[in-house]
Amino acid sequence: MNDLSINKDQVRSHETAAVEQQGQYLTFLVADEALGIAINDVKEIIEITSITRVPMTPDYIRGVINLRGNVVPVVDLSARLGHQVSELSKRSCIVLVEVSCNDEKQSLGMLVDQVKEILDIPEDHIQPAPTFGTNIRVEFIQAMGRVEDEFIILLEISRVLSVSELAELSLMTAAEPAPVLA
Amino acid sequence: MNDLDAALITFTQEAQELLDEMESSLLVLEDTPDDAEVINCVFRAMHTIKGSSGLFGFNHIVSFTHQAETVLDQVRDGSRQIDAQLISVLLDCRDHTARLLAYSLEYPDQPLEEELQRNGELLSECLTPTQSSAVKGQARTENIELENTSEEKNSADLNGNWLITLLFKKDAFRMGVDPLSFIRYLKTLGEIRALLLFDKAVPEGDEFDPESCYLHYKIAFSSEADKQQIEDVFEFAADDCEIKILAPSAKSVEYLALLEDLPEDEIARLGEMLVKVGVLTVNDVARALHTQGSSQEECRPLGEILVEQNVIQPKIIEQAIKKQQQVKQKVSSESNYIRVDSTKLGHLINLVGELVISGAAMDLMIEKSGLDEAEEVSATMSSLVSNIRDTALELRMVPIGETFSRFRRVVRDVSKELGKNIDLEITGGETELDKTVVEKINDPLTHLIRNSLDHGIESPEQRLAAGKSEQGSIHLNAFHDSGHIVIQIVDDGAGLNKDKILEKAVAKGIVTEEANLSDQEIYNLIFAAGLSTKKQASDLSGRGVGMDVVRRNIEGLRGSVNIDSIEHQGTKITIQLPLTLAIIDGFMVGADGERYIIPLSMVEECVEMNEKEWQLDAVQNYVNLRGSAMPYLKLSEYFNPGKQFGKRSRQSLVVVRVGKERAGFVVDELHGEQQTVIKPLGQIFENIEGLSGATVLGDGNVALILNVKSLINKVTVV
Repeated sequence: MNDLSINKDQVRSHETAAVEQQGQYLTFLVADEALGIAINDVKEIIEITSITRVPMTPDYIRGVINLRGNVVPVVDLSARLGHQVSELSKRSCIVLVEVSCNDEKQSLGMLVDQVKEILDIPEDHIQPAPTFGTNIRVEFIQAMGRVEDEFIILLEISRVLSVSELAELSLMTAAEPAPVLA
Repeated sequence: MNDLDAALITFTQEAQELLDEMESSLLVLEDTPDDAEVINCVFRAMHTIKGSSGLFGFNHIVSFTHQAETVLDQVRDGSRQIDAQLISVLLDCRDHTARLLAYSLEYPDQPLEEELQRNGELLSECLTPTQSSAVKGQARTENIELENTSEEKNSADLNGNWLITLLFKKDAFRMGVDPLSFIRYLKTLGEIRALLLFDKAVPEGDEFDPESCYLHYKIAFSSEADKQQIEDVFEFAADDCEIKILAPSAKSVEYLALLEDLPEDEIARLGEMLVKVGVLTVNDVARALHTQGSSQEECRPLGEILVEQNVIQPKIIEQAIKKQQQVKQKVSSESNYIRVDSTKLGHLINLVGELVISGAAMDLMIEKSGLDEAEEVSATMSSLVSNIRDTALELRMVPIGETFSRFRRVVRDVSKELGKNIDLEITGGETELDKTVVEKINDPLTHLIRNSLDHGIESPEQRLAAGKSEQGSIHLNAFHDSGHIVIQIVDDGAGLNKDKILEKAVAKGIVTEEANLSDQEIYNLIFAAGLSTKKQASDLSGRGVGMDVVRRNIEGLRGSVNIDSIEHQGTKITIQLPLTLAIIDGFMVGADGERYIIPLSMVEECVEMNEKEWQLDAVQNYVNLRGSAMPYLKLSEYFNPGKQFGKRSRQSLVVVRVGKERAGFVVDELHGEQQTVIKPLGQIFENIEGLSGATVLGDGNVALILNVKSLINKVTVV
């Protein structure tokens, strides 16, 4: 296994070491923009493997992958946030998260362009999301984190990867009248 | 978990099974009230539950079941007639016992809830009023029998009688065994010529415990019954009583002849042989074997022990041993059952799934590296793996009959409640399917049957007015069809009213008024959410929430449900379900660079696409295949709407069939058979039609499994 999975024990030791007021965030690049999610949401980070396309889904659903025998959907985060469909490169990664829907846990992969680092952001450096001025839907943003002089958008995973919304949207695409080209 | 907890779980399961058995037996009794075997079954349920409840100190259950058991005992020895009323009361007793059981498990050592208490008292009253008259009748018959006995005593030849020795254990009374009731029951099989009571064991003075049993009997019994039948009389006392039955000496000649005639291939062991000719019963042999196993001396012959235990004449043993020596010993296969935790089975199936995947990966590796020598080994391996897979899946297969017969009670109760006369016919109960499917199909089936009972079948008056027989009928049927199991619920009721359904569906905005729907489509509208044609929601159904849940549940099992109806004549609901949820044989095809799996059981044939000869109808999507018109679907174009495809040279047509419907899928490549472990696609994709799951291929890639049924619907609708 050559995936870069994060050792849970390490994460835990970091957690205990960290002062209570500060959270840890995994930052990554999507469409040249630095974004972050809470480290506790991250299950593991894996290399790009071959992704099987699922027909009749919107383009932000990249497809499904085989994760140790389980079939896991992968969402193209760039397309999901309203940018272009991301091009695969050497640095592309899949960040695996777990979201819950109807009391069921569902593993989901997020395709990102590059994983950067894990940052400690103290609570007083975290500010509420601005109501305008970003090119990402407001409800996707949990907060803004200040790191030195820059701001990093912290994503609200439960919204970005809302299973019920994803399912509904794929229904809309599927319901489009498919031209019959026989 | 300590031992007692484990025992408690076993007890609950066993009690539940017994109660289920009792229910179905009682329902059988409604039709054939004289079936002694079935009455015994009911009796056994109450008796066993009483006994085991005593062990766990569930006194409520013991005292209640004791009353039911008493009544059943009277039924058993013929002193009380079983009738519809008594069966109803007994069914209620069964339900009450189930409730008591649940209550006792939840609140052990607590006094009963008031409601339960009252209910129990009510039922006991229902059981008792006729009891006094029954007892009278019983007393009378006893007198008559006694007279008979004395009359014929003169002609009695004690040599021609069975000699039965009963040594009751001290705890017999405490375990709920009543020696007298057995002796009374014995009389239904024949005559008691003489009865000796040994009271030497009764202690004197203070040592005498009125709750202990000190009784030993010797009975000379004349009967036509064979030994097994006689022993069965004492079946319920077997744990608390030593029973020895010696065949009449007059019969030994007969047994000797039988032994001589035994076909040689059926002779295996001494004990089995003797059981076969009827001179011994299985229990006799088991007891003797036990003695043999526990005795200090080394290996005494079984025959010697049997004679010593006084259950057989020495002459017969000699003959049997002679016969046994003539032939070789043969080990007999017994059918035994093991209770296995279903999660263990589930784990096994998962492991087999992984094994299948890695087996496929290995095949691929060997092929890649061109190891000819290894190929043979891997071929053997994969045939073994597929055998293991089939056997593992078979472990989970159970006949659906048990689920079906549970509905007898539903039909009985509901029809009584509604004042209708409805008969339930069950066929195909032996059809097997996966246990998880069986469990999950129960609720939808209950709902559909309740619907048929409530809405489908009319009241007797309406039926007579419509020129039908007064009794309505519901027919439950199951059979296998091309890798699926099909369950049908057919009633001869009023059928569905097309106009009413359509009117309602339009009013609810489910379809538009202009929609031109086939009859079938209109009927299937009743599965849409929020549609109920019944004006008044009844206790059972009519709220319009049920049918869409039914459909969702069935589709969740990768099945489908279809409804067909003729107004005033009846309704037929057909449910199609996959045999298993875990592993299937798949057929892999390629379309536009992606690989898809079609369940092999649905594939009829594959032919090369021959567009010129086949008179392709590109507008209607029909193809003329050997003279018959068949709809087809181009997979690559269907799955990539909007994408343009150039001419490709070699395409194939895969002909699939579901039920009566056939269609062709046009694909780019045929990859062949593939063992397929079904993995769920997850909620995100649940709205996508045409896909039913995914699987992991040997090379680690994911392939999607096609939902043939919905794809066929797509083409036939276009």
